[in-house]
Amino acid sequence: MTSFSADERQLLDESLQNFLSEKYGFERWQQRSGPSGDQYGSNEWRQFADLGWLGVAIPEEFGGTGGGLTELAIVMAAAGRHMVLEGLLGTVVLGAGAIELAGTQAQKGDLLPKIAAGELRLAFCHSEQDAGYARDYVTTIARPVDGGYALEGRKAFTLGAQAADLLVVSARVGAADGPVGLFLVPRETDGVSLNIAPALDARLGAEVRLSARVPGSTLLGRADVDRTASIDHLIDRAAIAVCAEACGAMAEATQNTIEYLKVREQFGQPLAKFQVLQHRLVDMSLACEEARAIVHAALEALDVGAASAQRTVWQAKVQTAQSARFVGTQSLQLHGGIGMTDELKAGHLYKRLCVCEAMFGDADWYLKKLSQTLPEHIRARTQDDRMKPPEVA
Amino acid sequence: MFIRSVGSDNRLNAFREEVRQFCREKIPAEIRRKQEKSQHLDKAEYDAWLKLLGEKGWLTGKWPKEYGGLGWEPEQFLVFEEELGKAGAPPLINFGINLAGPVIFTFGNDEQKKKYLADIAKNNTWWCQGYSEPGAGSDLASLKSRAVRDGDHYVVNGQKTWTSWAHWADMIFVLVRTDATVKKQAGISFLLIDMNTPGITVRPIIGITRHHHLNEVFFDNVRVPVENRIGEENQGWTYAKFLLANERLHSLSFAKFEAYLAKIRKALDVVKDGGRPLSEDPTYRRKLAELDVRMATAKALMADQLAAARTTGSPPMMGAAALKLRGTELQQSILQMGLEVLGRNGPVYQDLALEQNWDGEFVGPDVSAGLIYEHLYRRAATIYSGSNEVQRNIIAKGALGL
Repeated sequence: MTSFSADERQLLDESLQNFLSEKYGFERWQQRSGPSGDQYGSNEWRQFADLGWLGVAIPEEFGGTGGGLTELAIVMAAAGRHMVLEGLLGTVVLGAGAIELAGTQAQKGDLLPKIAAGELRLAFCHSEQDAGYARDYVTTIARPVDGGYALEGRKAFTLGAQAADLLVVSARVGAADGPVGLFLVPRETDGVSLNIAPALDARLGAEVRLSARVPGSTLLGRADVDRTASIDHLIDRAAIAVCAEACGAMAEATQNTIEYLKVREQFGQPLAKFQVLQHRLVDMSLACEEARAIVHAALEALDVGAASAQRTVWQAKVQTAQSARFVGTQSLQLHGGIGMTDELKAGHLYKRLCVCEAMFGDADWYLKKLSQTLPEHIRARTQDDRMKPPEVA
Repeated sequence: MFIRSVGSDNRLNAFREEVRQFCREKIPAEIRRKQEKSQHLDKAEYDAWLKLLGEKGWLTGKWPKEYGGLGWEPEQFLVFEEELGKAGAPPLINFGINLAGPVIFTFGNDEQKKKYLADIAKNNTWWCQGYSEPGAGSDLASLKSRAVRDGDHYVVNGQKTWTSWAHWADMIFVLVRTDATVKKQAGISFLLIDMNTPGITVRPIIGITRHHHLNEVFFDNVRVPVENRIGEENQGWTYAKFLLANERLHSLSFAKFEAYLAKIRKALDVVKDGGRPLSEDPTYRRKLAELDVRMATAKALMADQLAAARTTGSPPMMGAAALKLRGTELQQSILQMGLEVLGRNGPVYQDLALEQNWDGEFVGPDVSAGLIYEHLYRRAATIYSGSNEVQRNIIAKGALGL
């Protein structure tokens, strides 16, 4: 549940839009987004904390303001609209979420206030090269050794890992068939090496190789508890947060395209006067509305813990991926040649949308999952029913 | 984004249960049987059911209390419609309760309210809609039917078309030209005409379904009392647009979509490919999942629009048009899947099976005639209530400022 009123959400949204449009302009974004740029600006991060964004979903007893996923989504939508480079997802959605779900009371008391205060940045290093989008595929192993664990394994490319203070690493405890535990591994640990690379949308991340010894205190919660279900839930939350980010980015892309077509003239009139282009813009706007509506439904389902929440999240990811692809590609198409240049926002938004579409599972992957678990009202009849001969009237 | 809550309202659960029970007890057995076979109902069968709803006040539950309604919020009407759909009740007939009625209580005078509203609420009168003409489809305002003042009457001449249920109707509301010298929208009046008036001729149009529910309506020197005019002379376009907005809002019924899916599911079990039922085929399971996502999205859009209406008092134009567009596209996609599944069966279309007293034998699944009928009929969904292309023009102009 969330304790925010509509008015408080409105204020949060205004603080995001004001700060990001004034202090986080596109020109500065272009300077910072290069591979040697200051992508995880410590100055920006501090201000995010001061504005209350980092602790928005952290319980009040741990220094936050006790919001829910809906408030995080308001933050993520603004981050998408303004193409925020810093790792909000890894820290406030996945990192803080993992600590809340799996951490001991002492770990929560120690770490969550630091996240809210902007003193701790995290990255969620769970997926592995051969996992694809599967959420329960973990081969990294944590073998108990004197006073701690020896971590061995390799984690797939994770956004923001290069700048995180702590990596949240999933590993099988004890043996290849052991329970999955979550470890908070300082990035600077000996035996942790990063292969840093830019993502499609220029944000930096890293593949992480682990051959390291870590103290027992790095494990979140107890050693004998399997965290597979928690990870599944965390990824649902992350997936919907990415959907919210995409909603922000596609709304911005659509708005920019509308404005460009109103001023760009060809054949002696603004392109916005051509009906074929007007209808395309309408369809782009509808795609944005559709994604926003179903993402909102999924957010509320998760915030109230509805039984249908996971299914709604998966449906929302499918719809958002489809909307993102349509809006992104059509935004480029309608901009024409100028949209293909690095200096315009259109191309960067397109690339951001491509990343959002892929993260935590694309439309095909979720459609496959959904088709394997069709609900009663559209599922085929049971085997028993099928044994009966076809009805003849 | 994501600021106002879109959560559903649990306070309607008791009402939902009441409608369920009412349907269980009151839908006549013969009607239920015909509905299950997708067979066409006759007027008496519709009337029998609609009068029962009229007695409960439910037919006009959405109307304000002062006009004999129950003052329902939009959510309550949706629950009502959903439960009727699930129970296999006959469809509500829109023309009186959702189209004529609201125009009369919003723009009509006291005598008109007294004369017409109670009969609509009790289903004592059937209404039909005199909007489209052979030369005025998407460009409705170019209509040519004319009304010339003669003392305290108008003399109406012209032709209307695509008039659903005109052959059963007691009354028709028509748009007529009363001034041909001004801009086309500025010379239109809105008249209520008794279908028994001399000079009116109704001719059937047989649809691609091979069924008759559409008509042409001819007006030959039809004398209509001036007191049957709604509002001001030449202001009819304002009332016409109000009505069209209501019509669009009613173009989406999730219960109907779920009923189609239930029939398709049944077909998937009996239609086979290589000896295996299609319901086991991953291709068709994926198609069902895709439709499921689109249904969930449309439902979320609806909830979003209702939430916006709660705050601002009216649904945002973008949302209403979005629902019309996506709802009708979804409807056609569902019915397209129906046709694809049944394609392995011939595809046979036994349209006579939808008439009463048919005693033939089905070739293939018994749901097939009803599904193909709906497939054919609902090709019109993206055309009626303002074609989807016209909807896009409306959004482009009104919401995007193009």
